[in-house]
Amino acid sequence: MIQMYHVDKQYPGGAYGVSDVSMTLDRGEFAFLTGPSGAGKTTLLRLLFGAEHPTSGQILVAGRNVSRLSSGSVASLRCEIGVIFQDFKLLGNRSVFENVAIGLEIAGATRREARVRVWSMLKRLGLGHRMDDLPRSLSGGEQQRVAIARALVHDPLILLADEPTGNLDPDLALDIMDIIADAHARGTTVLVATHDPGLLDRYRHRRLVLEKGCLLADTYPDTQPGRVRWAASTLR
Amino acid sequence: MTRPGRRWRRFLSALRFGVRGVRAAPLVFVASVGTMSAGLVLLAAYLLLMLNMHAVLEHFGRDLRVVAFLEAGAEPAAPELASLREWLEADAAVAEVVYVAPAEALERLRADLGREAGVLDSLERNPLPGSFEVRLQPGSRTPEHLRVIAARLQREPAIHEVRYGEDWVEGYARVLRAVDGVGLGLGALLLIVLCAIVSGTIRLAVHAREHEIQIQRLVGADGWFVRLPFCLEGSLQGAAAAGLALTVLWGLFKVGVPLVRAPLALVLGPRDPVFFGVGEVGLLLALGVALGLVGALLSMVRLEESS
Repeated sequence: MIQMYHVDKQYPGGAYGVSDVSMTLDRGEFAFLTGPSGAGKTTLLRLLFGAEHPTSGQILVAGRNVSRLSSGSVASLRCEIGVIFQDFKLLGNRSVFENVAIGLEIAGATRREARVRVWSMLKRLGLGHRMDDLPRSLSGGEQQRVAIARALVHDPLILLADEPTGNLDPDLALDIMDIIADAHARGTTVLVATHDPGLLDRYRHRRLVLEKGCLLADTYPDTQPGRVRWAASTLR
Repeated sequence: MTRPGRRWRRFLSALRFGVRGVRAAPLVFVASVGTMSAGLVLLAAYLLLMLNMHAVLEHFGRDLRVVAFLEAGAEPAAPELASLREWLEADAAVAEVVYVAPAEALERLRADLGREAGVLDSLERNPLPGSFEVRLQPGSRTPEHLRVIAARLQREPAIHEVRYGEDWVEGYARVLRAVDGVGLGLGALLLIVLCAIVSGTIRLAVHAREHEIQIQRLVGADGWFVRLPFCLEGSLQGAAAAGLALTVLWGLFKVGVPLVRAPLALVLGPRDPVFFGVGEVGLLLALGVALGLVGALLSMVRLEESS
């Protein structure tokens, strides 16, 4: 579903966002992208949904070469991806319903279809009673759930989540992760960027470890010890 | 979901975003309409002046005619006159042909002389020739056209002399060209200024909705989906501004014209100034829509460049 081959992202001034990253993520797989702040997690996610272009290397997402897509094709690719942003990116002057429905409207869903899907998604996330409220009247956890609802409402092939539990208390963080795990259980390929060790311990999925833009390790959890792919230490 | 159906729904969604955008920032919309309508009032006022000046010139132009004099003292027979008239009327540039018999010409001269008309009593016979007065279609009242028609008439053996007031015609054409030229220049200048105003105000709206545009793009909106709401907004602004400008101008026209009738008469002559007709109002509204659209597209180009 996601393939990256020797991907570099170098910013003006010479700083590297990511450096020579190669990895694949199969359909229906769940992986954490982990590493310290500034490791390049957000850059890697942005490269995957076409918000950044790689300086070199190839990126294939859902069979499309992102580095060569026209802006129109990037838009249609984004209709098949759900993205949860660290800062939620909600429209402050639009209701919860409108915020969640925006992707469906852009994709050309009928109003009825949009209503049904948004309603059922908000209900599933416990926000059915807040449909008409503005995001600013919601708590941080509720806002995050609205952002998740927007990312999942169109049943995306891929879910990219950038620190989805970043500023939430531990209980809320687990709630959010359960929602994401639920989407994965329904067949969505999931890549979650996080530097929260608690989450990594609780959800034992594949881990891609980034540091200073380089992929240091690509490991399966120790419950599947035979499936460790490689780690930087094994290469040294 | 079929592709055409989906496209149509995406189009409707984009329009809804435009309407929501206007609703979300009504003050920006009102300010834009106000600024634009001020410019449109100027443009429409100038067009109104042009319209009235053209009407005056057209009025004078109606008096333009080519006079073809026949041989003096040799009035042709009725069939010959009829065939000449038919020949003249066959020209597409000719609007009307009037035959002035020698006797009628003398009567006209008598009327023109007024109290001096007694001088004509001493004539033994009528020295005036019969003539055909040829009035032209509005589009043919140019010096070039008149010259061609005069030359054609001159070649007809029954016609002795042709006159068409060359100096007056040249002057008329010069005034018309000057009015059109100045109008075109000023009109173009005002249109450019208005486009810049709309583009600037739409850019303000774009700036105010930058966050929304960013989110739209992140969840899958392509370029036209982002542009369309602003194009709709620009068109609505243009239509509202043109409507407001016409209303203001109509009010000024009704109140102001009676106050400035005397100086206006210097420009327009004795005719009463007229306001735009339905067709012209429709054209100005369409112009407002087009201006709004062009302004929006211009600001969108910059948005594309900056994103």
